[in-house]
Amino acid sequence: MLKVENLEKNFGTIKAVDGISFEVRKGEVFGLLGPNGAGKSTTISVISTLLPPSGGVILFEGKDIFADPKAIQRKLGVVPQDIALYPTLSGYENLSFWGNLYGLSGGELKKRIDEVCEIIGLNGRIKDRVDKYSGGMKRRLNIGAALLHMPELLIMDEPTVGIDPQSRNHILDTVLALSRQGMTIIYTSHYMEEVEYLCSRICIMDQGRIIASGSKDELVEMISGKTMIGLQMESIDQELLNSLGSMEGIDRIEQQENQIQIRCENADLILADIIARVTASGNHLRSVAVKKPNLEAVFLHLTGKALRD
Amino acid sequence: MVSIIKLRLLRLREDYWIYLIMMLMAFGLTVIFGVSFHDYKPAVLIVDENRSSYSENLVTELSYNNTFEFSESSRSDAIVQVREGKVLAAIVIGDGFEIMKLKDDILLLTLKQLLTSTASKMTGGARIADITAEYIVSKQPAADREAVRDAAYRNVMEGWAHRNPISVTSAVADTGAESGYDSLKHSMIGFSLFFSMYTMVFGIGTILYDRQYKTWQRMMITPVSKASVLGGSMIVTYSAGAFQLGILVLAGKFLLGIDWGSSMTGILLVAAAFVFATTSMGLLLSGLVKTQAQLSSITPVLLTSTSMLGGCMWPLDIVNNKILLFLAELTPQKWAIQGMESIASKGMGFEAAVMPALVLVAMGLIFSAAGVRLVKQA
Repeated sequence: MLKVENLEKNFGTIKAVDGISFEVRKGEVFGLLGPNGAGKSTTISVISTLLPPSGGVILFEGKDIFADPKAIQRKLGVVPQDIALYPTLSGYENLSFWGNLYGLSGGELKKRIDEVCEIIGLNGRIKDRVDKYSGGMKRRLNIGAALLHMPELLIMDEPTVGIDPQSRNHILDTVLALSRQGMTIIYTSHYMEEVEYLCSRICIMDQGRIIASGSKDELVEMISGKTMIGLQMESIDQELLNSLGSMEGIDRIEQQENQIQIRCENADLILADIIARVTASGNHLRSVAVKKPNLEAVFLHLTGKALRD
Repeated sequence: MVSIIKLRLLRLREDYWIYLIMMLMAFGLTVIFGVSFHDYKPAVLIVDENRSSYSENLVTELSYNNTFEFSESSRSDAIVQVREGKVLAAIVIGDGFEIMKLKDDILLLTLKQLLTSTASKMTGGARIADITAEYIVSKQPAADREAVRDAAYRNVMEGWAHRNPISVTSAVADTGAESGYDSLKHSMIGFSLFFSMYTMVFGIGTILYDRQYKTWQRMMITPVSKASVLGGSMIVTYSAGAFQLGILVLAGKFLLGIDWGSSMTGILLVAAAFVFATTSMGLLLSGLVKTQAQLSSITPVLLTSTSMLGGCMWPLDIVNNKILLFLAELTPQKWAIQGMESIASKGMGFEAAVMPALVLVAMGLIFSAAGVRLVKQA
């Protein structure tokens, strides 16, 4: 449905997006995962025709989206990262306005607003002013404004930033429900759990490049057999890190403040030895966690840093 | 574009009080300044060092006029009062006239004209009295020549007071309107233009609000074109500005009894062109700045300075500096005031509105072309 080929976007001398390529298939939820500043939002801005690319091509159903942007825009629904609504208007007035811009009016618009309110769960408060809404309600209305014209491709740029867990769950359920209805969705986030939960295929971005892509299982397979051991310490000294680093069976050690992340082949074989070395070093150990490989681990494996750095 | 117009009208709901305040400000200041200066008579001191019957007669004659408030004074007191700016000028009557002034003022020209005409009138009266006395004494040698002359002089001057000795049948079409400067009208026009500019500039500045709340970016990825977004915004701002100015014109007419002259169409034409120029200026400013806060900072500075230059606060007739007068030509306010005052105060017809309206439209086109370009680049 959407094909991105060698996409580049420069802001002066800064390369925000550096020659990325990926394909989004009809009906799937496609994830763009990466830390803040990875280039996800810039990529979304170019795909949604807000910014022209510096290089590369984006094809929507085989046509260059910049050949006739207005025609493509009718088929796209974009949920921006920022809440792009009029706070002094009511939720209904906001939906009505955004629906108008997509050519909806009269009874058709009213029907769609009712349907969208049902989807985003704002039926009881839709006549209230938006500045009276909670952060989660604004986020849901922000999504609703992109759904009115029933887009073929819905692009969601970090739609759960800064909201409470309940609203976040509601939004994730909404995305799944839309996916089940057959809508194609591009979902960007730096929350690894969300992307794992929602997306059938994932691209991991860092510093404007795609560093890995595939299904969740394919990505995790990249570090198959690896286990993460997390040590929470009161303090850490270099001697301990050197000691752990010299152990057999440890692939990588990362320190973040009072935490040590150890990637190893088999935690069962070396965990006792690790704890013994920590105890012997005189550093006080608070907790130990052994984790199976996940996208966080994949990102750490690929970049040597945590996803939320 | 219709959806953008609907949106802007909806958002006016929360801004209506700004329009109301600006209209009240314009109207209130017009009443305060216009009515105050309407009865204003500049004070002028007379220092009579001649102390003759001629000089006394001159003082008496001058006191009859309604333009200045004359009072007698000593030379030393007059010097102090002129130096301190408490009076417009002082006239010293010696062998001739001497005018003491602190600075040049358009009113001094009027004062000189008044002195010249009064002196001419008195000279004429004296000449008539002399001839009359000579004639009567030649017929009645016993008559008191001085008494006859004084009586004749008084009669002549009284004759001037009741009826001008020369009547002119006017060959100029009578427009029915008075001609010249009217402080009430000038205040009404000046303050109406000045305060309505704020709402127009901030009205179109709503596109900066859109940028701040990211709704601009969201609009840009809908099928609606940028031209429609800007066009819709311009139409609503223009309509609101025209409505505001129209209300002020009507308020001046019905509440202050202002006579707008023989061509209300001309007044409205100039007003419409001015609203276009100002709305376009607002678009240009919105393209130059990044945020509403920046627009709020520069707008008062720009509008106040151009309004002062353009003659909203005082008539440009009192400005002599060529640079200031040249700069005034570059402001929309100058042209709007020129067009409106030509009709309302100088008794001219619709034709007086054409040139100012054309200049304002040209300014509007330049501002809007530059503004659209800047907004698109942003």
